[in-house]
Amino acid sequence: MPELFNPVNYAIPAFIILIVAEMLWARSRAPEKYEPRDTLTSLALGTGSTVAGALTGALVFSLAMWIYEHRLFDLGWVWWAWPLCFVLDDLAYYWAHRSGHRVRWFWASHVNHHSSQHYNLSTALRQTWTGFIALGFIFRIPLAFLGFHPAMLLFVGALNLIYQFWIHTETIGKFPRWVEYVMNTPSHHRVHHATNPRYLDRNYAGTFIVWDRMFGTFTEEVEGEKIRYGIVKQLGTFNLLWSVFHEWVGIAQDVKSAPWQHKFSYMWRPPGWSHDGSRDTSDTIRAQWLKSQQAKAD
Amino acid sequence: MTAELLKLAGSIAAILFIAWLARFWKLGGDVRIRSEDQAREIANEAYSGFDPVDIAIDKAGIAALMRDADGRHLLVRRHGAQWAGRLLDHHNEARLDQNFLTIGTGEKTFGSVTLHLGAQASHWAAGLRHLNMGRTHA
Repeated sequence: MPELFNPVNYAIPAFIILIVAEMLWARSRAPEKYEPRDTLTSLALGTGSTVAGALTGALVFSLAMWIYEHRLFDLGWVWWAWPLCFVLDDLAYYWAHRSGHRVRWFWASHVNHHSSQHYNLSTALRQTWTGFIALGFIFRIPLAFLGFHPAMLLFVGALNLIYQFWIHTETIGKFPRWVEYVMNTPSHHRVHHATNPRYLDRNYAGTFIVWDRMFGTFTEEVEGEKIRYGIVKQLGTFNLLWSVFHEWVGIAQDVKSAPWQHKFSYMWRPPGWSHDGSRDTSDTIRAQWLKSQQAKAD
Repeated sequence: MTAELLKLAGSIAAILFIAWLARFWKLGGDVRIRSEDQAREIANEAYSGFDPVDIAIDKAGIAALMRDADGRHLLVRRHGAQWAGRLLDHHNEARLDQNFLTIGTGEKTFGSVTLHLGAQASHWAAGLRHLNMGRTHA
């Protein structure tokens, strides 16, 4: 097995330089694009995430190694296994991410990436502390069973994470059509972070937007429509711990107070679901919005 | 282990530097609600489809209270350079003090909001009383 380095370690200085460059842009063009307390929260979430990852990473890696020992194919370290692994890992990421928005248990971990009302490069580093508890790794780990070495999976996963950094920006408009057709871009990812009803739960891609096109979750950014970022019920606080745990607290409260037959539903149904229909999911919000648009048109 | 701790210390130092820089460059700005149209737009952003028929803007422009045709009340307040809102119900409480109306959202992290509404304050306090809020008192 070749000795692999962690590409994220080498990318961090570039992350910092690019954030400062974007802040300079904001300073001269649109100071409201950054908010010091929001930036501090986002970056603290990023650092905490690396600590959480270091604490639980060995366990996940051991599990992946155990699965790898029972692999179907011996792919080894042949050159073509790398790009294939990257593409398949990106496909697995798509489903992990989609589930991260559609299943409240996974959303509880992923929500802190979305809870900023700003969309800038610091938002990209707003990562989860509770990914291990949410079991998000179950989507990508089966690749070890196919025969991809866990170290290779870690490596391509890190490249995917690095790719996704630069698309968290409003400084870039759109790329030529062929790029926008294949790759995840700032435009596509702005849609993903938006709370506008038309954009809710769309564009889950990591690197290749083709997955959204294939699985029917793609939505194009509409020129001229102001995007609002964040979550449907904005936090209204920069409290770091609340940002990390608020949805977990919400799940605990709902499970505690729900009738027995509905308790489990508060964990696995979409965020916003309630047994008495008193809350809104992204689907109901979109449906209401579409209805109002239709009424306006009539 | 030492290398990991040094890396963590470096990350924390970088974070603090960037946060300081953002403050030093005065990023974020001073957002205010300056018109009913703006309040209307913020209401729709805070709660999709909320269409206010009655609007009270805090004198300093840092919050607003709005009512829609269904009698629902929406409170919006400044959150950094953005806005955050809550639909009010019986879990909330309101306190009227002459021209000031303080609304408690019942959420520790969202907190309570005091709006300077001038002569309109008592009118809005009465409106909130109809929501059967937890406590509404003068």
